[in-house]
Amino acid sequence: MKKLIVAASLAIFAGGSAFAETKIGAIFDLTGGLNIYGIQQNNALELAVEQINAAGGVLGEPVTVVGYDAQSELTKYTQFTTTAILRDKVDVLFAGLTSSSREAIRPIVQANNTLYFYPSLYEGGACDKQTFVTGSSASQQLDVLIEWAIKKYGPKIYIMAPDYNFGTISAHWVHEYAKQYGGEVVGEDFLALTVTDYAPTIQKIQQSAPDFVVALPVGANQTGFLEQFAAAGLKEKMGVVSTNYGSGNQQVVVSPAAGAGLIASQGYFQVVDNPANAAFVAAWTAKYGSSEPIVSVAVDTWNAVHLWAAAVTKAGSTDIAAVTAALESGLSFDAPNGTVTIEPGSHHLRQNIYIVEGDANHSFKVVETFEGVAPAYENAKCDLIKDPTIATQFTPEGM
Amino acid sequence: MAPDFLATVLLSSLSSAAILLIATIGLAVVFGLMGVINLAHGEFLMIGAYTALTVTQAGVPYVLSIPVAVAVTMAIGALVEVLVISRLYGRIFDTMLATWGISIAFYQLAVLTFGTVSPGIGMPQISVQIGAYSLAVYPLLMNGVALAMLGFVYLLMTRSVYGMKARASIQVPEMARAIGISSARVNTMTFALGCGLAGFAGAVLLPIVPATPSMGFAFVIKAFLTVVVAGPVTLTGSALAALGLGGGASVTASFLTSVAGDAFFFVATALLLWRYPLGISARWRRKL
Repeated sequence: MKKLIVAASLAIFAGGSAFAETKIGAIFDLTGGLNIYGIQQNNALELAVEQINAAGGVLGEPVTVVGYDAQSELTKYTQFTTTAILRDKVDVLFAGLTSSSREAIRPIVQANNTLYFYPSLYEGGACDKQTFVTGSSASQQLDVLIEWAIKKYGPKIYIMAPDYNFGTISAHWVHEYAKQYGGEVVGEDFLALTVTDYAPTIQKIQQSAPDFVVALPVGANQTGFLEQFAAAGLKEKMGVVSTNYGSGNQQVVVSPAAGAGLIASQGYFQVVDNPANAAFVAAWTAKYGSSEPIVSVAVDTWNAVHLWAAAVTKAGSTDIAAVTAALESGLSFDAPNGTVTIEPGSHHLRQNIYIVEGDANHSFKVVETFEGVAPAYENAKCDLIKDPTIATQFTPEGM
Repeated sequence: MAPDFLATVLLSSLSSAAILLIATIGLAVVFGLMGVINLAHGEFLMIGAYTALTVTQAGVPYVLSIPVAVAVTMAIGALVEVLVISRLYGRIFDTMLATWGISIAFYQLAVLTFGTVSPGIGMPQISVQIGAYSLAVYPLLMNGVALAMLGFVYLLMTRSVYGMKARASIQVPEMARAIGISSARVNTMTFALGCGLAGFAGAVLLPIVPATPSMGFAFVIKAFLTVVVAGPVTLTGSALAALGLGGGASVTASFLTSVAGDAFFFVATALLLWRYPLGISARWRRKL
């Protein structure tokens, strides 16, 4: 509150407009099971706002943050989204990690016509006028990963995935890209998030003898799969690739024996080498220390805030329609993960996808960089320029 | 069906059952001897895992970290019993609520103390080859560990003075008190023992299940259902229930899908409770 008053009085002294301040809402999981991601998302948002304000804010006014802790509970997302929009009257909302949280938020931002940024990797397909997605989608990551892995290991694929939409939709894309690049899915197993014993899965993998396993472990328990896989001596016999390994710093949890040689693909890893990332990592370390590696959703949040600020500056106002138009003008940002560009029609980002390999020190080295990968599925399905009234999540046919 | 596949399925299902039993015994002891359902059981497991992890990271060999984990969880368990549980005897739902609250507090304390990610210690990279299949050795060792735990608790209950007092306190409480057994002290000891067994489980399973603040949730539901299915005969009942439910689920998961394995566990639990509302051991003659 004090911050708000300071910001407001500053604005009055500056002789500014009637809209004395620009307010952004942030709803992340600062406590509870998902805070492994939520704390970093929130840290990235605070850091971005700090930097924007140090450079004079947006439209000459400092940005203030109204933050909420969603406590890893879905109901809190609905509640706080409503509060942020109706009571706090935020100009833009940055919120959510899981797909279920995003789907809880979207109807509310649609009904109130509020700008919303979803800063996380996810299964893909979300499409409406108010929502902008800064994470990479499953098809964006899997397209390059499956092609790369078939070339590297061979055509036979086994899928180990969590038993909800992220897992099942990702598995669908594995099937699609396997077909496209001459591979074959020889088996798959979907697992509840509470499973801790992976012996049955490991036997089925051995029974179907794949060239590589697409492993999409979500949550702490499923990280145990990688440990058990390695201990059964399978790492020497086949490759393991993943679109989400590392997204929650799993490489820190997994022992070097199990983690070395694992392949992951995402839009960002801390080891990415470019000047923007070096500056970002330095600023982050100065403020938060370096005890935990920075995860991709943190950079997704950082990019979201900067893209929004750039759009407001370009539009010259915080008016929703003007900012949306600016965002849809092919806006680019020199991000820690390389240049990212908003696709006007799908509200998703064209961005680099990195393929990395786990090393023996709980970290990664970059194996290959695919520059400017388009969110091809979202671009094909979702054109909000042509039809601004779309409000849905597209899922692949046959799902 | 290839015989080597069958053999690995049997062996690993046996270890699945053993892992479930290891995670369950502490809960079963507290429920069987005190009638208290400790919903913070999973968090004691988590405390055991973190203790073992911290001690190992300090340079102590992993094997020696296990007794430290047991001592720490027993001490915390005794404290919880004296401060909270002892005030709620005979109020089973209040105890459930209180221990549920304690579990949330412990969970958040773990987040604040250890952060959300800690390095794991990894599983020994030793495997055995059976035909075309290889199996990690460490989970197989859990069969021995589970048997040892059963034996330990059995001997403790039948051969030690504490064990006799504990059984007397639960079977004929008035008579026990009349001959001078301090049921309060016996109960504190029993609860601490249950928590120590949970701590042991967390420590010994650490190579398989990495220490995370939320690891307790994964165990507590299945452990709880196993205890309920087992019924009043604590040890034999739990061992049999773990074998049937955990082993059965693992076999189902091997032949069908992991989801089918989970479904087997819960459907079998429902059917058994429908058939034996007081647990499978309700009409047995044995006491342990």
